[in-house]
Amino acid sequence: MAEYVNMDTLRFQLEQVHQLDTLFQYPRYQEYDLEAINIFLDAVKDFSDQELYPVFREMDEKPAYYEDGKIIVHPTVGRTMEKMGELGVIAATFDQENGGLQMPSMALLGAYFIMEAANNHVMGYPGLTDGAAKLITAFGNEYLKEAYVPNMLSGQWAGTMCLTEPQAGSSLSDITTTAYPTDEGYYQVKGQKIFISGGDHEYNENFIHLLLARIEGAPAGTKGISLFVVPKKRIAEDGSLAPNDVITAGDFQKMGQRGYCTTHLVFGENDDCRAWLVGEPHKGLKYMFQMMNDARISVGRGGLSIASAAYHASLQYAKERPQGRRVMDSGKKDPRQEPVLIIEHADVRRMLLLQKVIYEGSLSLLLLASKYHDLEKVTEGEEKQKNRLLLELLTPVAKTYPTEKGREAVDNGLQVLGGYGYCSDFVLQQYLRDIRIMAIYEGTTGIQSLDLLGRKITMDNGKALKLLAQEMQQTIGSALTFDGLKPYAGQLGEKMKLSQKVLDFLLPLAMKGEYERFLSDATVFMDFFSTLVVGWLWLDMAVVAKQELVSGREAYPAEFYESKVHAMRFFFKYELPKMEGLAPTLMSEEVLTILKEKEVIA
Amino acid sequence: MKLLVCVSKTPETTAKIAFTNDNTEFDSSGVQYIMNPYDEWYALVRALELKEAQGGSVTIIHVGPAANDTIIRKGLAIGADEAVRIDAEPPSALYVARQVAEYAKNENFDIVFLGKESIDYNGSEVGPMLAEMLGLPFVSHATRLEMEGNKAMIVADIDGGDAQLEVETPFVISAAKGLAEQRIPNMRGIMMAKRKPLKVVEPVEAEGLAVAVRFELPPEKGDVKLIDPENMDELVRLLHEEAKVI
Repeated sequence: MAEYVNMDTLRFQLEQVHQLDTLFQYPRYQEYDLEAINIFLDAVKDFSDQELYPVFREMDEKPAYYEDGKIIVHPTVGRTMEKMGELGVIAATFDQENGGLQMPSMALLGAYFIMEAANNHVMGYPGLTDGAAKLITAFGNEYLKEAYVPNMLSGQWAGTMCLTEPQAGSSLSDITTTAYPTDEGYYQVKGQKIFISGGDHEYNENFIHLLLARIEGAPAGTKGISLFVVPKKRIAEDGSLAPNDVITAGDFQKMGQRGYCTTHLVFGENDDCRAWLVGEPHKGLKYMFQMMNDARISVGRGGLSIASAAYHASLQYAKERPQGRRVMDSGKKDPRQEPVLIIEHADVRRMLLLQKVIYEGSLSLLLLASKYHDLEKVTEGEEKQKNRLLLELLTPVAKTYPTEKGREAVDNGLQVLGGYGYCSDFVLQQYLRDIRIMAIYEGTTGIQSLDLLGRKITMDNGKALKLLAQEMQQTIGSALTFDGLKPYAGQLGEKMKLSQKVLDFLLPLAMKGEYERFLSDATVFMDFFSTLVVGWLWLDMAVVAKQELVSGREAYPAEFYESKVHAMRFFFKYELPKMEGLAPTLMSEEVLTILKEKEVIA
Repeated sequence: MKLLVCVSKTPETTAKIAFTNDNTEFDSSGVQYIMNPYDEWYALVRALELKEAQGGSVTIIHVGPAANDTIIRKGLAIGADEAVRIDAEPPSALYVARQVAEYAKNENFDIVFLGKESIDYNGSEVGPMLAEMLGLPFVSHATRLEMEGNKAMIVADIDGGDAQLEVETPFVISAAKGLAEQRIPNMRGIMMAKRKPLKVVEPVEAEGLAVAVRFELPPEKGDVKLIDPENMDELVRLLHEEAKVI
């Protein structure tokens, strides 16, 4: 079977770079140890090899579709939901008192990474169920928790997020779905939602929709939005399930992730759709954003996973495909020689290394964000605030870098195969179609960039940024203890100074009230800033690799660690310098994209 | 029913196999290990199915050092009730059989399970040796096992077909593909495994009667030669003179 993840790289990052075992000292995680996590990851890999990877292409060729009011999906969706309940994947990070296993989210991210790399069309179903159940657990009353959460954690019922409406995409303040209060303790809801991932199919007995709506008479804008539980089938007094006037009106056929259904749902067409308020009225968006932040990490993980799978597919091809001859120092090729494998060509190696630094850099970024999430749960006071701020700052980066740069990585993977990469006989074209949605799901790259520059960089007077700079300085200090890493430590330090220079130019624009201009190149800033962050993470990986080489512990062969140092050097030669190209754009006085009175876009 | 399952450690199926010390020793550097799939997927799972259907207990036994406890823990996570580890680095199949027999002889197990072979040395030796030492019947390569009271109906793989056998407990049985379906441990099982008993037993003296003198890897595959379908004479010549198969 073709490889789609490298388990050694995952373990290296979990155990040696991000030191998963340091979490086990906290009471919340004390029942865990590395052995247990490794058995779990192996189990997930077995499941992925046997059930997920073999149907990955079939799910693209036979996509989910709508017929007679129903959504038809691949049977693997049903088996996966059942297995995710049985293995404890859906319940993994929940509190024990809510039926969970209190696993560190870092370890669960590793498990999802394996499964999504095997088949990215399936894991959204349990992922959204996890997210919806977390919202109920965090903000719902005891009735909602008891009535819905256990069946969701077991995989028997599925969960979704219902935000988008036909007239309101990213602009949630414009939603019109309305909830009418009744005297019975529930609301009657009416409205339509589109782009609802995993919204319906035959393999789950019930679907629990977490829906945003306005209570009749609520104030306009985002402050009038409330959160509701709306089951597809409501629970009758005798415990049986009855239809709840949720109609599946259609589906959306997508260019990728075609096995992951995207639905159009109509609520209350017959004025009989009951909804239960979650938490307090008008606080729905705040609650939903808790789930959205987790979901953004999950989408970043989706980009990472596809980039990993594409890298391994193109690497395998490059190791098997003979073509052309290497250029000799004379500048000529010897046609009498046998053709070489394409992995011997410098440009192919460049494309492979580019993929490697993007996907492994993304893995490190996502594991680190998850670690801050895990630590934020168990620390107190200043330490807790630090972890929260770092998580907040890195969340838009962790959503964007693996999805935007991941797409570039997959594109390079396809290029490795040349014309065959563009043909449906090979899988690379599917990966490229699949990853494209990731920069759109859960807030587009543009929205993430506004969040980063407009909110996260400046929050608490820039405290998160200062904390991140301290972390980077610490890595630079460690790198300076190795002669071979000193030049790279210096380069990272220079790029930190460049970042400060860019911010010194941008932040005064906001202070002067030129807010639109301040944010107009937020996406360029995201590209600039995320390159710095991933450069730091690569230097950190190289430090750990060097430390392991010196220690002689040899958890992995020396070549393994040397390959990490080599990849860091590649990142610093080919990727980090791009910041210098972006800085002049960010600090330019020229304003070309803000709408003026005279339209210039013809 | 009181059931014993012997589990061994083997290199992971994709591990690169190499030898050191002038080809006299297996080179374990960089090799990941797993529980022998025939022991795990078929022997252990069928034992668990019988326990679940009829009650009783499943004990797993392994001969190896403490570093192999991960493999034992996986067996416990899949559902075994307890484990025994004979604390020794086994030099041969005879040594393993001797250790397991020593432990099992006074424990009155109804059935002793093991995989039909380990996927590294493929010796299929421990099962028959163990049965002989315990003075029990031995059925090899079982693909089906059903119990009626203390009588077992077994279907076993034989060259070119199946054999249907009956045997009464106690007996030793080696498991082949088809006896059960692989079970993947869940997280609750993995956590519970830590709390299940693992007894460490000192080995008894046992002599090895045969020693491995040297290992040889199969020759590397040569380049593929494409022959024009019209040129059968050339194909026959190559098969005769180069491949030497006709």
